[in-house]
Amino acid sequence: MNRRLSIQTIIIALGAAFVVAPALASPPAKIALKGGRIIPVVGEDIPVGTVLIEHGKIKAVGKDVEIPYDAMVIDISGKVVMPGMIDAHSSRGLDIRNENLDVTPFLDVYDAIDPSKLYFEDALRDGVTSIHAIVGNNCVIGGLSRVIHPIGITPDEMTQQPSVSLKLSVSPQRGSDRMAQLATFRETFRELGEYLENLAEKKYEESLEKKDEKIKVGPDEAKKLGKDLIKPEDYDDKHRNLVKLTRGQLGAFVYAGRAGDVAAAASLAKEHGFFKRTTLVLGASCYKAIDEVKSANRPVVLDSKLLYREENPITGKITETFIPRVYADAGVAFSLLPSSNTSLAERYLNYQAARCVRNGVSRQAALEAITINPARALGIGDRFGSIETGKTANLVVMSGDPLDFSSWVDLVYINGIRAYERDDDIRLKQLLGEEKPEVAEPAKDEKGNGEAAGDKAAKADTDSAEDKSEETSEKAEKKKE
Amino acid sequence: MTFSTHHQRKTLYRCGFVQLATLAVVAIAMVSQPVRAGGGTIVVKGVTIHVGNGEVIDNGVVVIRDGRIAQVGANLAIPPGAKVIELSGGSLTPGLIDANAALEPTNRMMVDRRNARQVVADLFHGDHKDHKHEAVGCCGSKCSRQLQHASGEKCKQCGFPDTLPMAVGVRRSAMTVEHSSEVIPQTHVIDSVNLRSPDFDRLVGGGVTTVFVAPDSAAVISSQGAIVRTAGPLNARIVRETDAVMAAMGTDPSWRGFGNRQPCRQFVNFYNRRPTTRMGVAWVFRKAMYDTERFEKGAVVYGADAPTEPAMKELRHVLSGEIPLRIQARMQHDILAALRLADEFGLKFTLIEATEAHRCLDELKKAKTPVVYGPVYIDAPGMRRYSSEVDHARLHTLKELLRAGIPTALTANELRDEDGLARQAMYARRFGVSLADVTRCVTETPAKLLGIADEVGTVTSGKRADLVLWNGEPFDGSSKPIVVIAGGEIVVDRRKG
Repeated sequence: MNRRLSIQTIIIALGAAFVVAPALASPPAKIALKGGRIIPVVGEDIPVGTVLIEHGKIKAVGKDVEIPYDAMVIDISGKVVMPGMIDAHSSRGLDIRNENLDVTPFLDVYDAIDPSKLYFEDALRDGVTSIHAIVGNNCVIGGLSRVIHPIGITPDEMTQQPSVSLKLSVSPQRGSDRMAQLATFRETFRELGEYLENLAEKKYEESLEKKDEKIKVGPDEAKKLGKDLIKPEDYDDKHRNLVKLTRGQLGAFVYAGRAGDVAAAASLAKEHGFFKRTTLVLGASCYKAIDEVKSANRPVVLDSKLLYREENPITGKITETFIPRVYADAGVAFSLLPSSNTSLAERYLNYQAARCVRNGVSRQAALEAITINPARALGIGDRFGSIETGKTANLVVMSGDPLDFSSWVDLVYINGIRAYERDDDIRLKQLLGEEKPEVAEPAKDEKGNGEAAGDKAAKADTDSAEDKSEETSEKAEKKKE
Repeated sequence: MTFSTHHQRKTLYRCGFVQLATLAVVAIAMVSQPVRAGGGTIVVKGVTIHVGNGEVIDNGVVVIRDGRIAQVGANLAIPPGAKVIELSGGSLTPGLIDANAALEPTNRMMVDRRNARQVVADLFHGDHKDHKHEAVGCCGSKCSRQLQHASGEKCKQCGFPDTLPMAVGVRRSAMTVEHSSEVIPQTHVIDSVNLRSPDFDRLVGGGVTTVFVAPDSAAVISSQGAIVRTAGPLNARIVRETDAVMAAMGTDPSWRGFGNRQPCRQFVNFYNRRPTTRMGVAWVFRKAMYDTERFEKGAVVYGADAPTEPAMKELRHVLSGEIPLRIQARMQHDILAALRLADEFGLKFTLIEATEAHRCLDELKKAKTPVVYGPVYIDAPGMRRYSSEVDHARLHTLKELLRAGIPTALTANELRDEDGLARQAMYARRFGVSLADVTRCVTETPAKLLGIADEVGTVTSGKRADLVLWNGEPFDGSSKPIVVIAGGEIVVDRRKG
């Protein structure tokens, strides 16, 4: 019964999410979010201000923004608007995390993204507007990643930025040890060099054939001469992305699972010319290599496990380290990840940030770690990750401070389109009982409901009508029970 | 002495030196010892005091003397010579009480949940340390197909490390439930409790100062729990050696036993435990109580699944109400079954877990059954995820219970550290319970349910000084216990770093 019910709700919810999205594909040209507290992340907080969205972009932010006469004004007074959160590393939207091969630079997560995954619905509900869909850590060289948003019915619709980076892992995976892992890298890049030389020679020969000339030089000379004749389309699928990687045309997300892997990751990246495009994806114990991470001076994505607990095997004494604190103290810009395990709290990125604050990381650093830092690591910092004029209108309106666990994501805007509204979240309502999840006294609750319903009716009549019918059907269900 | 040789004198001198040194060491030790009960006065000032009964005192001062709370109030005079603890923007609550903590009795397993999984996985799945493991059935036979998975990635076979492998049932059942019979109220959990277990450190680190150590739910009528303090001198930790008998409804006792085969020739042992269904579980409970009633009247009780004599001697006290009864039930019909059985034998009980309590509020209210609810989840943590009883878990259950006026305590059960009781309270706040109510759920109400409310549970003068100081509002995302005081001693201090 429950299974069936939950599947139904999923279908309904997905339907709501994905049917509404195209319907809203032509949003009101101008939207003004008025009267809320603005956390732009880059720059000072604005206690009461307005964010003006025009054609999917942020047109103006500030205390006294002139609202055009034709703008759709949404009153968010008492609420907080912040940039949409960014999940810097996630394989949860893919059907399977990793391919059954070690070296797969020819793959693209485009083919693995499953838009029907419940994960996307949850991500939207939790205020995540950009997801870096990337293969898992169980590889040597994984496939191409892309940045997607959690609405849309095809991977194309979901894509914000294709071909963001290539996944590499220096930590031993798939049953191999560290030596085998690094030997595979060496072999891959050696083979790449050989391939490029042979290709150059071939191109040189071809160029002479076209001119009907005979080859006068030896193979070594031909390899050198043919180098410049190679065009981008000449590379085969297997090597194209590797060539881009070694020339710094592609980002690299390098996974280092243990402290000892950090140095290997940095030297690998330096050796093959992609160090400047490298982002380090670090396992929990990597904080022990903080000096190496600091000297590398590259963006860092931290494991979702933020607390590292270690037992002294002799004394049995347990020491705890709060990992982001180590990075924050060292001045390393880090990104946080939501947890994929069953914990109710840690799946929220804003809660992960709150944990940081609780353990002594500054509020600003914690907020940056879920917005602008991942955007910069992904190379999309100029478009996403903060509320600044000219950036894409990916916004989250929360009922209170994002670091307060009692705050809810009320509205989510993606490209200026209203992608999520808590009042219409059927599944959430089911989990919370039939009424609205107001954090208030019971008596006030009912009153609050009435007011909210009234407001909504004034705002959007069709929505509230739907809402009411859902509520009544739920009540009927409850009576049956 | 006059004839003492040089050597003897030297020895004497040496002895004197040793004695002096010993004295000095003792003196230093006495001086440097932490503030003992009766040793000094501690004052916590400038904090918002959440008393535990719903009251809030702004800018409050608590004076602690002789391990007890001497004075509580706003802007009190600070006695001279007292050790003052001040935390701007901080707040103070009573030490939290978990009324249904599942305690890990051994040291090794509880270092980390992940480590615990590792240990169990090593035991049952062979080599799990290195990123691969062989699929091993419960029987120990190896699967020919090798499953490989990355460290940190979920294993397709067993869910490792997100979830415990198959051994999960074994891990808990084997430790705090006796498998020799279905009805074992004569066994006491306190005999399994290792007071030096790091588990206590983890509890007290999360602000929990008193726990009811619950037995596991894998037997129909399980052991007697104990009330234990999580900090303080070892000889003063046990509040009550035996408190309540725990029973379980639903499928836990049936599916978590090792293979439930029919008893052979009336021979019941570890491998052929009886109940295989819900009705079987209810029957074992009913028969135990019925047999006890008959036993009291002097009748001879026999049969393969009859409770043993020592068990009946304990159950007699359960029936008479001298020993409190707890029944764990998750699903609606299990809760109703528990109510029915209790009604049948005129028993009063406390309902444990009560995942679907939101569906039978009226019945619970009518029976005046108190509830120890928790943990809060949608995706069940730990071994619950293997049970089919958790599908209808809802987030508003605690709110509904409180609204219905049912005395409800909140528990984190086996969850610890950041995942522990404070977080459960934080969840409750998110899902519609006010701060005052939720504070009561983890302090005053469990104290009342456990019958220790005259000792702990609120910040009231005269009570034991079990206090938690938070760096912000309690049970908030960005606050945590900074100082924990147990029995007037500072046992956790995170003020530096």
